Amino acid sequence: MHIPDGFLDPKISGGLAGIAAVVLSYCFSKVRQAVTAVVPEAALAAAGKGAQSIMVGSRRVLTKFGQSFILKMGAVASLVFAAQMFNFPINSGTSGHLLGGVLAAVLLGPFAGSLVIAAVLLVQSFFFADGGLLALGANIINMAVFGALISYYIYVSLKKFFPEWLAIMVAAWLSVMMASFICALEIGFSGTIPLGTAISAMVRVHAIIGLAEALITIALFNLFRQVMPAQEET
Amino acid sequence: MMKKIIFLAILIAALAAFFASSHPDGLDKVAESFGFAEKAIDHPAFMTGYSLPFLPAGHISTAAAGIIGVLFFLGLFQGIKIFFSAR
Repeated sequence: MHIPDGFLDPKISGGLAGIAAVVLSYCFSKVRQAVTAVVPEAALAAAGKGAQSIMVGSRRVLTKFGQSFILKMGAVASLVFAAQMFNFPINSGTSGHLLGGVLAAVLLGPFAGSLVIAAVLLVQSFFFADGGLLALGANIINMAVFGALISYYIYVSLKKFFPEWLAIMVAAWLSVMMASFICALEIGFSGTIPLGTAISAMVRVHAIIGLAEALITIALFNLFRQVMPAQEET
Repeated sequence: MMKKIIFLAILIAALAAFFASSHPDGLDKVAESFGFAEKAIDHPAFMTGYSLPFLPAGHISTAAAGIIGVLFFLGLFQGIKIFFSAR
């Protein structure tokens, strides 16, 4: 669902890039809080780490948990990137691929999860020309903000009523539906095709792609949890 | 522990090309059906279309590009960890 350049009105892609930057900054600050701790200078000096900061009294350092968490983010990013390369066939000459938003958010928490998806989209656009440069903000809104961040809270509310596996699968399906709906709105409001046409065409095809998203998400989630037991999320 | 996930990611990236469907994905299909596919402007990139510039386009080239991508993410986050640890 990577939008290339040319599909969107530059006013829309520019505005969405601005919103994406604000949301990602907030996510970054939340993750930073979770992986660092404020340590008094005296303690650092005692550990031989040198206390030259002008900041009075204390500074932020990466915790042990933070170190392993960042590496876990890297592992999830590479797994999502690799899985996105696997295009599965659906009906009538169409294929789909994993978005991975719910997978990343369930494994890492909503903030780190959406940062990881945004990083994947950035690398795909810069190095593989998969998704446009101007459209990067729109793609981040669709797949990282709606696909991971907002979908995570849907997963959390579903988990109150359903078992975890079902909540993950339903949230994964809904994440694809939401992303395709927002993507259709962007294309429709850009005047590329009429809004109603865009919505019905995008949502209909992604209702099927979403089923595969749900299956792949739960399979990779179970694999990941077997290898790496549940940890704190951010 | 993490090694198994990394191994899995490399394995998927290497094999995906051989099994992946070459049909357009959901959005591309909609773009083709409603006649706005030709509006797409591709910017130049190092591995456009997931294939290496110095290998003929094909499954092997895509597999290599995928493995490079996976290794890039591992390096990127390792770098972030080192950057923030050093302060």
